[in-house]
Formats: sequence, structure tokens, C-alpha cells
Amino acid sequence: MDIEQSKQPAPPGNFVTADAPGYDSLLQCMRCGFCLPSCPTFQLTGRERSSPRGRVAMARAIAEKKLDLTAAMKEEAFFCLDCRACTSACPSGVQAGSIMEHCRSQVARQDGVSLSPARQLRAFVLEKMLPSPGLMKNSLVVARLYQRLGLQWLVRRTGVLSLGPQWLGKAEQMLPWLEKPLSDGLAELTPARGEKRGRVGFFLGCVMNLMFAEVSSQTVRVLAHQGFDVVTPGKQKCCGAPHLSEGDPITARKLAVANIELFMAQDVDYIITDCAGCGAALKDYKKMLEGYYDEATLHAFSAKIRDVSEFLAEQGLRSADLIPQPVSVTYHDPCHLAHAQQITAAPRILIKAIPGVELREMNESDWCCGSAATFGLKYVDASHKILKRKLANIAATNADLLITANPGCQLQLAWGLKKADMQQQLLHIMQLLGQATPV
Amino acid sequence: MCRGNGLVGEISVGGGMTKGLLEKLQRLFGRENVYYEQEDMLVYGYDSTPGIQGYPEVVVFPTRHELVQQAVMIAAEEQMPVIPRGSGTGLSGGCVAVNGGMVLGLSRLNAIREIDEENLTVTCDAGVVTLDLYNAVAARGLFYPPDPGSQKISTIGGNIAENAGGLRGLKYGVTRDYVMGLQGVLSDGQNFATGGKAVKDVAGYSLRDLLVGSEGTLGIITSATLQLIPPPQDKRTMLAYFRDVGSAAEAVSEIIAAKVIPATLEIMDNTTINCVEDFSAIGLPRDMAALLLIEVDGHPAVVEEEAEAVMAILRKLRASETHQAKDVVQAEQLTAARRTALSALARVSPTTVLEDATVPRSRLANTFAEIERLKQQYSLAVGTFGHAGDGNLHPTCLADEGDCEQMSRVHAFFDDLYNMVLDIGGTVSGEHGIGLAKQDYLRRQIGDGGIKVMRQIKDSFDPVGRLNPGKIFVE
Repeated sequence: MDIEQSKQPAPPGNFVTADAPGYDSLLQCMRCGFCLPSCPTFQLTGRERSSPRGRVAMARAIAEKKLDLTAAMKEEAFFCLDCRACTSACPSGVQAGSIMEHCRSQVARQDGVSLSPARQLRAFVLEKMLPSPGLMKNSLVVARLYQRLGLQWLVRRTGVLSLGPQWLGKAEQMLPWLEKPLSDGLAELTPARGEKRGRVGFFLGCVMNLMFAEVSSQTVRVLAHQGFDVVTPGKQKCCGAPHLSEGDPITARKLAVANIELFMAQDVDYIITDCAGCGAALKDYKKMLEGYYDEATLHAFSAKIRDVSEFLAEQGLRSADLIPQPVSVTYHDPCHLAHAQQITAAPRILIKAIPGVELREMNESDWCCGSAATFGLKYVDASHKILKRKLANIAATNADLLITANPGCQLQLAWGLKKADMQQQLLHIMQLLGQATPV
Repeated sequence: MCRGNGLVGEISVGGGMTKGLLEKLQRLFGRENVYYEQEDMLVYGYDSTPGIQGYPEVVVFPTRHELVQQAVMIAAEEQMPVIPRGSGTGLSGGCVAVNGGMVLGLSRLNAIREIDEENLTVTCDAGVVTLDLYNAVAARGLFYPPDPGSQKISTIGGNIAENAGGLRGLKYGVTRDYVMGLQGVLSDGQNFATGGKAVKDVAGYSLRDLLVGSEGTLGIITSATLQLIPPPQDKRTMLAYFRDVGSAAEAVSEIIAAKVIPATLEIMDNTTINCVEDFSAIGLPRDMAALLLIEVDGHPAVVEEEAEAVMAILRKLRASETHQAKDVVQAEQLTAARRTALSALARVSPTTVLEDATVPRSRLANTFAEIERLKQQYSLAVGTFGHAGDGNLHPTCLADEGDCEQMSRVHAFFDDLYNMVLDIGGTVSGEHGIGLAKQDYLRRQIGDGGIKVMRQIKDSFDPVGRLNPGKIFVE
């Protein structure tokens, strides 16, 4: 089936185009309200339409032709963090996050191409830059030049950016010092050390590659030390999650097919990622491409995907030669790990397995940090309030280190810690494990 | 859509709202506390009752008691109905606007005002979330027992208005048993206060008791003084599986007959077990006909003794397996799983029609048998769970509101069931209330005389029918 087409015969009710939410998925909600206490945006506004129950009810009204795809519905579709906390809380199996992704695609298609520079930039990033690793790297040349020339320092000092749109200022502050992308220096094969336990493929997410190269290089080192050959195919593409979340399922499907074909051609037992967002998207390929691609291959591919914590906990961490780390840590559950993939035990098992580490649980560890893909840049105020709640919970633990497992959270939390003048050092769980892994 | 009282109408945006009125409300309550857009009218037009949707004209959220009074007075001037609402998790349509009007959202009136350790009371606003109240008093070493299924989000005001029950009803009673005093606003905007911290109070009619369970039709409750008790020192959670529902029902009666009053005595049938297991994956046996979840609590020595007595009865009745929760975490898991029963059943079909039949405990086995018989007769998928110790069952039809023929069978099923329930001295609603969903059945239970007296009470509180019109009585 053509990837440009939707598999749906006709969009239900007042939904306008393909890739609309399925009517059955909307009927699933019986309005029990169990999702309400889990939803960060509802807790923020107290307004029913900013809750999963309210959003699904609006989508259902559209499907039943009682409501048009109104401005308020569009707003709510994007105001949803897509953190999936409601999915964990929902006994009826309603996927409000995924329903909102579908609603976003309605908005994108209905509104068509607009000429505003912001939209053009967005289209360029989504359709050209992310799908093409080469272009993405080159674009960073500009960013690196900008750093070298000290513009970053100048801009920060003069506050020029704060005169512009609010988000630009925050984005500028969040941007870490860019290193060389990891894919430039990483060999296609990193051989296992010690007794070999298997051979894995490494899915290097865009943000990890470009902004957290250090983290992913630790991931590869840890995997090798744990006895796995690590294959990192150079031609891998963006996982497609940003496209889905911005309402562009067509590009997402194209990227998915490219990644499946690339990785299924490798001789690997598992495909590992250290980005919770990518992991959730990769595991979801079988749903995303249902009806578009060979089902057996989809299942085989999905069955190989593991988040790196999930994988190491499953295989058993070889901890005998780990270097003790006498620190206290607290762990923030990324939404795309805890809610989208239901992985909460594995990272804790790894943390506790490192000698010397004391894990101090924070309150609401699986409450969104407010980053949520581009939410943090679109709704700066709301995002900041959600972040403050998180920071208070972190501070209460008094732990030396804050550990998480997703680049989006890492950007947001690092920015938050700095703004709040908090002392905690922030590490990806693989950095912590990397520190404990002997050279 | 085939549900008789489904009220599926059109969204009327601000039907009776003038620009002047809207501005007045926004000025008084703040713009962020007044909603009037069609999307808001849609989502403030439902609660958790399947198939019921109404549309208010405006929703206001008072943030102080005086603002509740102002809202009611404005509504009176404008001749608008006033529909109080907590979190919208009711199961009889109590907060659904039948005919436009003003939804009065009380969830932003949510301060816990005082925990009085000498009098063992807590005084709080109507919008406080039940579980938040529970946690706040627990932090002071006290216990607020009523725990309705939706306690994580339901409000105290809503609990009082519906006289909500919960899993601890058998030993600890329901919301009514903990309400000592109420404050609020009458239909003409006048304040009322009834009851208080005095343990005994026989001064005139107990208006407090009239207001508990009045479903928002007599007055708007803005704050409450609730009774607290010392928490049980110990508890034991047990699970028993049965190959036939009859034995499970018998076990319930036997446990009580042995003079053991468990805090919790819950039942789930096979359909429910499977749906709950699909969601919670805690290892419930999918092939069993019924499960009992039993919790005894109190002094450690008593708990030990009662747990043994319960286990002995379970063995005698040949429960095919019995378990004791090994720790608090596992016990919590079990009760949490039970709380999800209704929503877990809802996964199975587009529409779940849930009822609230309650019978004298000794007739539980007969009721189960009747449910089974009617299920066959009308060829319906029905999952039944409930507070077995209270004789309170929630037979739940898994249906599709798009299928009119099937929906008529669903209604016939409940009609027959309620006739039986009333014949054996039961009630048509144990804890969900009448609201919109069960008006027909109410008359059957209390007769014309009963309706007449209730109407007169309603009229004396609210002569013009301002508060939550269309509820409880057939108009």
C-alpha cells in the first residue's frame, strides 16, 4: 500500500482528511476520569478540555459531527504533552496521546502550507533536515561557527534574544555546547570486550547524535564492556517521532521503512537505543506501518527493539568489575520510557547494581518534566510550571546526581537546574554506568 | 443512539447568555473561572454515566464561598438552572445539565481548613479531592474511611451529594456516616449551616441528613466537617477463587454469620476477572468463576484471629485457592485492581451499562443466580462485580449503543432484575444515586407516596426548581 495514503477508508465525521483517529479508539473512553489526576496539563489548568477525557470527548464529538475541527480542538491537540501518563492510568486502554497525534495530523493537513517563516522553518526541519543526516550535520556547522565566534556569549549577555519570541530565548539557553556529531567518529563495529554475549545494532537518535554525543559514546562503550558487539549503521535516519508529534505521519512512515530495511539487513540479535523517545517510536513501527508493510518483518523488527536499560536489565548486568561510585542519585522516569514503554524497573535495577550508589526515589518520578518534544518551546509558561513541580521533587531528595534516560528530558532538566541554581549534576543513566565502567 | 435518557442534543452555545451577563460573570469570578465556548459546554456536559450528554450554557468556578452565593443569586436573576459539579465522575448523571443552565464547578474551592485532633474532625471545602483528604489526615495519624472507586479524583462535595460508598462500606459505612456538619447555599442564595462538631445533635429535623445524598437538588454544599477515626493498626488481605459463583456468595454470608466483619469483602465474576487481568496483569486466574477479595483490619491480635476464621470458612466452602497478600504492596495491588473493575470491563465493548442493585446480604446467591438466568434469557454479555459484603452488586452489560435491538434487551434485562431485587427487599441504587439514570426505578421502589413526600421536601428547599432540575424525579 502506498505510504502517502492513509489506510483508513474515510475519515469519520467532521475529520477532514486521512490519518484521522479511528472511531473505535474514541468509543473506548468511558469517561471514568481516572486519567484526570495523571494529566499534567489538566492539573495545570483545571479545565476539563485540557484533560485526556475532555480531549477524547472533543475528538469523539468531531467524529460524530457534533463539533467541527475547531480552533480550540487544534489548540488542545498541541497542548497535550503526549506524555502518555494517561495511558498508564487508563483501565479502558484509551490512547489519548496517540489520538491527539492523529488530531495534529488533521490540523497540519487541513491548514496546509502556510507562508509564515516559522512554518517554513518547521517544514524545513521536519521534511528535509531530520530525514537527512547529512543535511542535519551541515546545518550544525553554522551552529558551531556561531559558538566559536562567541555570538552565543554576546547574545546571552545582551539579552537580544529575550526581545524576540519567548521560545527563541529559551531554545538558545537550552542548546548545549555542540560537539562533533558522534556518527562522524564512531566505527560501524565496536567489538565486545571480555566474554562475548551477543551482537546488537545501535540506533543513534538525532538528538543524541548531535547534542549528546558524549552520552551515546558511553552507551556504546558500556554495551561493548558488557560483552556485546555493537553495530552502528551509518545510514540510519530519524525515527520519525518528531514528525508524528507534529502531525506529519507520511514522512514518519517513510523514515520508518528506511530504518527497518537498514537494520533488518544487519546480522544483530537486538536493536538498542538510549533515547526513550526513539525507543517508543521504533517499538510502535508495527502499528504505524500496519497495512503498509510486510507484517512478519514488522513483528520481527519490533521484537528486536530494546531500550538500553531494558536490555541490560534483561541480560543481567555484569557488575563484578564496576568501579564503585559513592554517590546518592535520584531518577526521573522519562514519559516515553515509563508510560509509552512501561519501563520503570529496569533503570532502577541498573542503578542499584552499581556498587556504592544510593538511589533516593523522588515523589512523582514519572510525572512529565514539561519538555515533551517541542511543547517546552511552544508553551513556555505551562512547560515552566510543570518543570517547577519536577524540580521541587528533585530538590527534596537532596541527592548528588539526577539521572534520566531521554535527551528531551535532559535538555529541559539541565536548563531548569541551572535556572533554579540547583547543585545537582544531571547525567544520562549510561553516563553513570559509563563512569563505573573501567577503561 | 438508543439509550432512552441519553439526552443527545445539539450544542447550544451560550443559549441564554447575553454579552452583559458573560461580562458580569467574568468580572466577578475572573476570566479564567468562566467558560462558555462550545467545546467547554461539551466537556462539562457529561459525567461517568454511559450514554448521557447534556449541554450547559455557562460554567463558573467560584474560588470562595461568597462567590458560590453570588453565582446562585445571578442564576436566580437570570432564571437559569444551577447544576453543581465536582470532578464529573458520578454514575447516575447527577451533574449533567439537562436543560442548559449554569454548571457550578466546585473543584477550585478546595482548601482543607482544619484538622481537629481533639474532636477528631476535619473541615474542608467541597472541592477537596477525596484521596487528598485521606492523605492529609493520614499524615496526622487519622483515618477517613469512605473510599469510592474514583477517590483519586472525586471530590468530597460530590461524595456527600451522592452519599458515595466504597470498598470499606461493610465495616466502616459510607460517606453519610462521616458527615457531621455542612455549610452551603440555598436556592435563593441564602447561606445555611447544619450540624457541627458536636457528636450528638437532635435539634429539630436533621437537615444535614437530608442534604447528604440529595444530588445537588436541595442546596449547594460548599464545605463540610467530617468525622475521623483512628486508623486500624494492622490488616490482612486475602484472595479466594471459586469454581462456582454460588459458593462465593455463600462464603460471604458465612463469614458474616461467623461474626467477622471484614473491612472489605468484594466479589468479581469470571468476566470481570478477565478484564481486570487484561489491564493489571497481576496474575488473577482467568478460568475461575468468581473471586473474593477480603480484608480484615483492626488490632493485630484480632486481625490474626479473624483472618484465621475467614480462611477456615473458605476452606470449608472448598474455595479452589486461597492466598494471603504477602505484603502491603501486594495488598495494595489487589485492591487497586478491584478499583479498576468497571473501567476494565469498559475496554471490551463500546458501551457499558452499569447498575447498582443492592440486596440483603443473605440473598446474594439468589441475585447472582437471577443475573445468570437473565443473562442467558436476553443473550447478553454481563460482567458482575461489587461490594459483596454490602449486598451491593454492579452487574455491567457490555453492549453497543449503536445496536438498538441489543439495547432494548439490555433494558429488559435490568427491568427484570430490578423487579426481583425489589421483591426480595433490595434497592435500585446502593451508592450511585438516582440522577437521570434511574428515575423510573425509583417510583417502583418507593411508590407514589414516597415520591410525593420527596417532592414536598424538594419544594420546601427549592420552590422554583432552580437547583439541578430534572434529577431524581421524572418530570
